[in-house]
Parts: sequence; structure tokens; C-alpha cells
Amino acid sequence: MSEQPALALQTHPARLRAANWARTACCMGLLILVVAALTLIFGRAGERIAVQMCVNVSAVVALGLFCGNTGIVSFGHGSFMTIGAYLSGILTMPAGLQRTALPQLPGFLAGHELSIWTAFPVVAAAGLTFAAITGSAVARLAGASATIATLGLLIITHGVAVGAREITRGSQTFFGVPRVTDLAMALGAALVFILIARLFRESRNGLFARAARDDPDAAAALGINPRRTRFIAWCLSGTLATVAGALYGHMLGAFSPASFYLSLAFAHVAMMIVGGMASVGGAVTGVMAVTLLQDTVRQFEGGAEVFGIAVPEVFGLTTVSLGLAILLIIWLRPQGLAGRLELGPGADAKLLRGIKETTEPAPVPDRAAAAELKIENLSKSFAGVKAVLDASFEVPTGRITGLIGPNGAGKSTLVNLLSRQYHADAGKAIYANTDLTKTTREGVARLGVSRSFQNLRLFPGLTAYENVLVGAMAKGHSRAHSQAIAIRELGDFELGKLAATTAGALPYGARKRLEVARSFAQDPSILMLDEPAAGMNPTETDDLADRLQRAGAARGLGVLLIDHDLRFVNRLSNWIVVMNRGQVIAQGTPEEIRSDPAVIEAYIGRGRTAAEAKLKTQDPSKPMEGVKP
Amino acid sequence: MELFIQQTVNAISLGGVYAMLALGLAIVFSIVRLINFAHGEIMTFGAYGIFLALAFGLPPAAALLFGLAAAVVMALAMERTAFRAMRGADVVSLLITSFAVSEILKVLFQNGISPRPVPITFPPAWSGAYEVGGITIGVVPTVSIMVTFTALMGLSFILRRTVAGMAMRAAAEDIEMLRLLGIRANRVVAVSFALSGLLAGIAAVIWTAQRGSVDPLMGFFPVLKAFIATVLGGLGSLGGAVLGGFVVGMLEVLAQAFLPDSLAPYRDAIVLAAVIAALLMRPDGLLPAASAHRS
Repeated sequence: MSEQPALALQTHPARLRAANWARTACCMGLLILVVAALTLIFGRAGERIAVQMCVNVSAVVALGLFCGNTGIVSFGHGSFMTIGAYLSGILTMPAGLQRTALPQLPGFLAGHELSIWTAFPVVAAAGLTFAAITGSAVARLAGASATIATLGLLIITHGVAVGAREITRGSQTFFGVPRVTDLAMALGAALVFILIARLFRESRNGLFARAARDDPDAAAALGINPRRTRFIAWCLSGTLATVAGALYGHMLGAFSPASFYLSLAFAHVAMMIVGGMASVGGAVTGVMAVTLLQDTVRQFEGGAEVFGIAVPEVFGLTTVSLGLAILLIIWLRPQGLAGRLELGPGADAKLLRGIKETTEPAPVPDRAAAAELKIENLSKSFAGVKAVLDASFEVPTGRITGLIGPNGAGKSTLVNLLSRQYHADAGKAIYANTDLTKTTREGVARLGVSRSFQNLRLFPGLTAYENVLVGAMAKGHSRAHSQAIAIRELGDFELGKLAATTAGALPYGARKRLEVARSFAQDPSILMLDEPAAGMNPTETDDLADRLQRAGAARGLGVLLIDHDLRFVNRLSNWIVVMNRGQVIAQGTPEEIRSDPAVIEAYIGRGRTAAEAKLKTQDPSKPMEGVKP
Repeated sequence: MELFIQQTVNAISLGGVYAMLALGLAIVFSIVRLINFAHGEIMTFGAYGIFLALAFGLPPAAALLFGLAAAVVMALAMERTAFRAMRGADVVSLLITSFAVSEILKVLFQNGISPRPVPITFPPAWSGAYEVGGITIGVVPTVSIMVTFTALMGLSFILRRTVAGMAMRAAAEDIEMLRLLGIRANRVVAVSFALSGLLAGIAAVIWTAQRGSVDPLMGFFPVLKAFIATVLGGLGSLGGAVLGGFVVGMLEVLAQAFLPDSLAPYRDAIVLAAVIAALLMRPDGLLPAASAHRS
């Protein structure tokens, strides 16, 4: 890559848009290609496999829409498929057949005899309703707890389907469903689902969901509500899965609740994992790989002869092969066959070099209005340790306020209180007539108070450009304006060449700059930087200091700067607050602080005179924050 | 009154089985972040161990011990073959791995032993009942309650008072640090799997004593309940797992005893819905695991 000329940062948004369409086309093209090959080579049998494959693609793309964007594996999508299959079956069943098969069916469901096209909207609406109800529960949980809850949901739905004999014939076979899922319908549905999933993935909500997946705390500090992102993804994904369930039902014609239970849930999750959970292309690849594997293995299930050796009849060979496929994939290629990224060209691909449409960087925002973050008597203790005790000081706009103190002084805890990561025991933090300690984590960001984290908290699965874009969009800017802001900040922080690189793959210094760029993209009035220079070498530190000084002066920001590097803080700050053991022990101009005996004692200890003790001698390379607040 | 006492005994006995399974899951989860879907197959394998030992003519008491040993061996084998290679992988990969292991083992049981239930017959004296103050109480539930509490107290002793136990609790907090201190992490992980296997084995003994047969899916459903119990108690919290197990067992017996017949088919659904409702109030569980993460 290095010998090629660097691509202009201004064309990045246009190239990314083209790349996204190209990737969607790749997914669709791959599916169409395999379906065509199956039907042309294997005739009727191939067509049957192709229909099944397309229905599975719809179901797994729907599943992946939730799992891929939120990082939560769901076993609960079988619930949606159950609802879709039974509801669509009942609505489209011939009335005469329905009277004999389901004599006790409640009146409001009976005798509709809808066509499948009129049934679909009803089914989708039912799916959305069910998703909204269950989503309000599932979205509250995160990680493994959420996965187990979705499993609980599947068991509940299965139990109800078996119990509701009047509607579903219980565990007996439910028959008479019109077999209308043909290749055209299945393929069409799969293509539409791929398009919806791709559009969602790159949309505002999709980006927010992926940001919250990668780091919920950092996302919340930008103003994104992780629960809301999970809820939205769950609702859309559940609606699609319900329609996929209807397609599945109309493919089978006869089924029972067991058809949608654990083995189907397992198969769909397996397909998603084999292909790669993080992308739509992964879902498509996974379904195709697993369907082809299973259909090959099924030939041998009834016993066969391989290379002259008789293989006995093995019950469940397909399950074993699926299990082994998962194990091999997870051991050898944990991100799945398709990997972490979408199939197809990235924004830096050769193919897209011809695109010249540019996005002008957004103008630097107007100077922040004069305002003040007023911290009053803030306190927080952890199990008896008083991490912050009665802290009071002000952070006005237009000034860089340094916050220093020895390890364990309570500096990071204070920032965490202001950004609502922690709940304050007592005290207030007033900004723009709002008490920050009373609002939500997302509310703090929306007021114009941004932060960076002591340990890097980027979204490693998003590109550098997307990280900054998410920051701007989370502030409420339109997509077009956010793109312009992202171009401005990436340019300012010299990250232009790395715009298309995922944040997880960036070198350390670039990641540090990217985190600051992401906070700047929020156009904040107050910016809290928690050790922005930690781990940087002196040149990088000076470079960052220059940028902060320039930006602070141009935008009139109020910066609350925490760092261990006293030279760095002294150079930048117009005002310094010193904390020790949770309390503010001094504040004043850098000159006043340098000669304050209480400060010297806190840093160096008793028994030395102020003249001997030069704060500059503090070793910046010593390990950061070994002590918990 | 009689009904009440009998149902209480049933609730504690069922809850005890769930509690032991949940505790086994929680021990392993707290150390290697693995939600072991194949835990049920450890339990099933223990029960098949009892079946085989009886079939080869071992006396019932020896057969029970053989069953426990089979469960422990299965747990250790699983750790060595499937999960050691995955150490440090994320929760989702581990979960899916165990799901795959579980599916494969079920098929192996179906082909290797039998897809249908095989009977396990214990001496009739074991399954009798006795009377206290005019109230009839089953022997098996009583013994199972005693066994459960002995096992839980024994485990609590091991975790609190022995070096291996303290190493395990330390590993649950930070396994990398433990390694730096020179303690063999592999051994600690193996011990935790062995303990969880032992608990699953005890659960298998009680379960088969009450049901008298074993089939390939035997362990799967009690372990599903145990999953719910660990989440209800707070994922990764050992005390929470035990509490969650007893709560789920109690809810289930209550639902069985007091729900009207028309709602009987929905019993599991109602119990699970109640648990999920409880989780909405407390998303981190009843007794959340202590977590120290910083920004």
C-alpha cells in the first residue's frame, strides 16, 4: 500500500458510500450465483436445496441483524419463527380444512383464507409487537445474561405453543399450510432481507448499535443509549425473523412446535458463527457453507460405502458434522469464514480510486458561549474509602483547567462522577442550569460535556472515520454534517491516511489522537480529558499540547485536563486544581501551585523545602494509577 | 398442612438439584468465563456410569460412586480436549463451543448407548417413604436434601479454607495475576471443572434415584433451569447461583402444586416469565458478582 499515492481524505465519504453499495451487491451476487449453480447443475433436487438455503439466509440474516450489531447471541429467534409460521399458516389455510383441523380455533383467527401477500403485513405487524414486548426485557440485559434470557424466551414460546392446543394442535403436527414458498419468493425474500440488513448496519442506528457493542461505556459517554440501540435492533430483527418463520412454514407445509425449537435455533446460530457474526456477508456465507455441508453429509446418514469401507448407519451425523464445523471454525478462524469485515471492497480499494466527489470539512464551530461547570461539594465513597470528599471548583469555558494529584487522589473518580459513570453520594455539578449528577449518562453528552477515557475506549470494530462519525452523529448532527465534521477532525489530527483502518488495528499514538478527535467531533463546550498524554513520548506529548492549545483558543472550550505529566499540565493550564486523598487541597495559577507547600508535601512528602523540590522532577515514565481510587 | 410440608420437601429437594448444577456452572464461569452448555451431558454421563456399573453387577453403593467418578472424568476430559485450547476467548465463542460439544455428545450417547431411556433400578428400600407425626415423606427427597446440603457445605469449606479453594476464588477475580504469582492456572481450572463435574454427578444420582431411568437428553433440561438460576442469582456469583437454584426449584413446585389444571401446560413458561420479570427489576441478578472495572 505504501508506494501508492495516499487517497484524499475529502473523497472518503463518497468512496465509503460506493464501497457499502458494492458490498451489498457482493452479498446478493454470491447468493444468486450459488442458487443459479444449484438449480442448473442438480435440477429439481438442486432447486429444493436452493429454496431451503434462501429461507435459511432470510432467517440467519434476520438473526445476524441483532447478534452482529449488538454482539449478543440470541437463541430466541425461534420464538419469532414459531409465531410467523403458525400465524401465517392459520391466516392462509383453506377455511374448510381449518374447520376440521382446528375446530376450537378462536373466532377472530378463523376463516380468513388470506393470500400470502396479504398475510405477510399482518405477520410482520404481529412480529413487531411481540419484539417490542420482549425487547423491552431483553434490551435491559447485556452479554451472556441476555443470551440466556433469549434461551428462556425460546423455552417459554415453545411451552405456550405446545400448551395452546386450540390454536396450534399442541405438539401434534400442524398441517394444511399452503406450500407457496417457491424459489422466486424465497430468493426474493432473501435478497430483500440482505438489503435491509445492510442498510441498517450502515445507518445511524446500526452504527450506534455497533459502537455500543464494542464499548457500551464509551458509547454512553458520547450520548448513545446502549439499551435503545439493542431495542431497535431487536425489533427490526424480530420482525424479519417472524416473516422468515412464515416463509419456513409455507415451505414445510406441515410442522410442529419442535420444528422451531432448540435444533433449529442451534442450526441457525451455527450458520451465523461459521460464516462470521459481525457482518451480513458472514451470515450469507455461513448458511451456504452449512447447507452444502449438511446436504452432503445427509447422503451418508443412512449408511454408505466410502472408498470401499462400509460406514454404518449413524443417527444425527448432520448434527455431529455441524458441531465439528463450529469447533473447527472457532479454533482456526474465530471471526468466521467471512471475517470481521463485510465481503467486498473497502473504501480504500483500487476499484474506487476513481471517485473524486469530495466532502468539504465542516467549519470550526463558533466560540463556546461563556458558561461554567460548577462543582459543589461532590463526594463519593467506595465501601468506606472516601474517593472524593467535598470537592468544589469551577471549570469555565475558554480556560484550560488542570487537575493534578498523586495516584489515588480521586481525579478519575471525579470525572466518572461528572460523566455519570458513577453515582455521586452527595453534592452537585451544575452546568447550563442542569445538575449533571441528576441526569443520565447520555444527557451529560447532550449538554455539551464530553470526555475521553484514561484507558483507551475506542470502538475497535469501526474504522477510524466511523469512530469520529459516530461521535458527531451522537451529538445529533445530520449525517451530511457529521461527515464534514469527521473529515475536519481526522484532518486536524493527521489521521486522514488511516481513515479506513479499523480502530483496533491502529498504532497506539494514532489511537490516542483518535480518541481526542472523537471528543472534538462532538463540538463540546466542556471537554474532560483523562490522561490524554499517558504512554506518549515527549514529542507526541508536545504535539498534543499544541493541538489542545490551538483548539482551545479557537473554539473557546473549557477543558478539564487530568494528567500525571506535570510539565504537560503546567504548560497548558491557566488554572490548576490539586487533589489529594479525595480532597481539593489547593487551586490557583500554575505559579501559585508550584510554590504551595501543601502541594509539595502531597507530591514529595515532608522534610524538604520548596526550593529543593521541583515538581518538574516528577518522572513521567512511572506507571500510571497503580492505586484504586 | 401435610400437603404444605410435602411440597416444601419437594421444593427444597428439586431446588437443591438446580442449586448444585447452577453452582457447578458458576464455578466454571467465574474462572474461565465459560457458560457450559455441555454441563447437562456431564450429568447424563454420570447417570450412564451408574447404569453401566449396575449392568456389570456392581453393588448399588459402588455404582453410585462409579457414576460420580464418571461425571468428574467427563468434566476433566471436556476441559482438556475442547476448552483448554480456547482459554481467553470471548464469552460468545466459549458458549458456542460448549453448545457444539453438547450436541456432539448427545449424538454419541444416542448411537453409543441408546436413543431411548434405559432403566436404573435401585433397591426398593431406597425409594420408600416414612411417617413423621402422621405426615408421609419420601426417603429419596429427604436423602437428596441431606446430600445437597452436605455437598454445598463441603464445597463452601473447600472454597474458603483450603489452598486450592482460595486459589480458585483468586482465579475468579484475576487468573492472569494468579499465574504471575506462580500458581499453575491449568491446575486451578482443572480442579474447578472436577468440582463442577462432581456436583453434576451428585445431581445425576439424585435425579436418577427419583426417575429410575436415563436417556440422552436427561441432563439437558435440568441444566437449562440451572442456567436460568445462575442468571437469576447473578452470573458469576457462587452464592447467587445457589440462591437462584432454590428459587427456581421452589417456583416450579409452587406452579405444579397450585396452578389450575387449565394452566398446567404453561407451567414452565410461567416460571420462566416470572424469572425474567425478576431480572427486569434487577438486571445484575439477586446477588450480583462483585465487579471492579474502571474507566
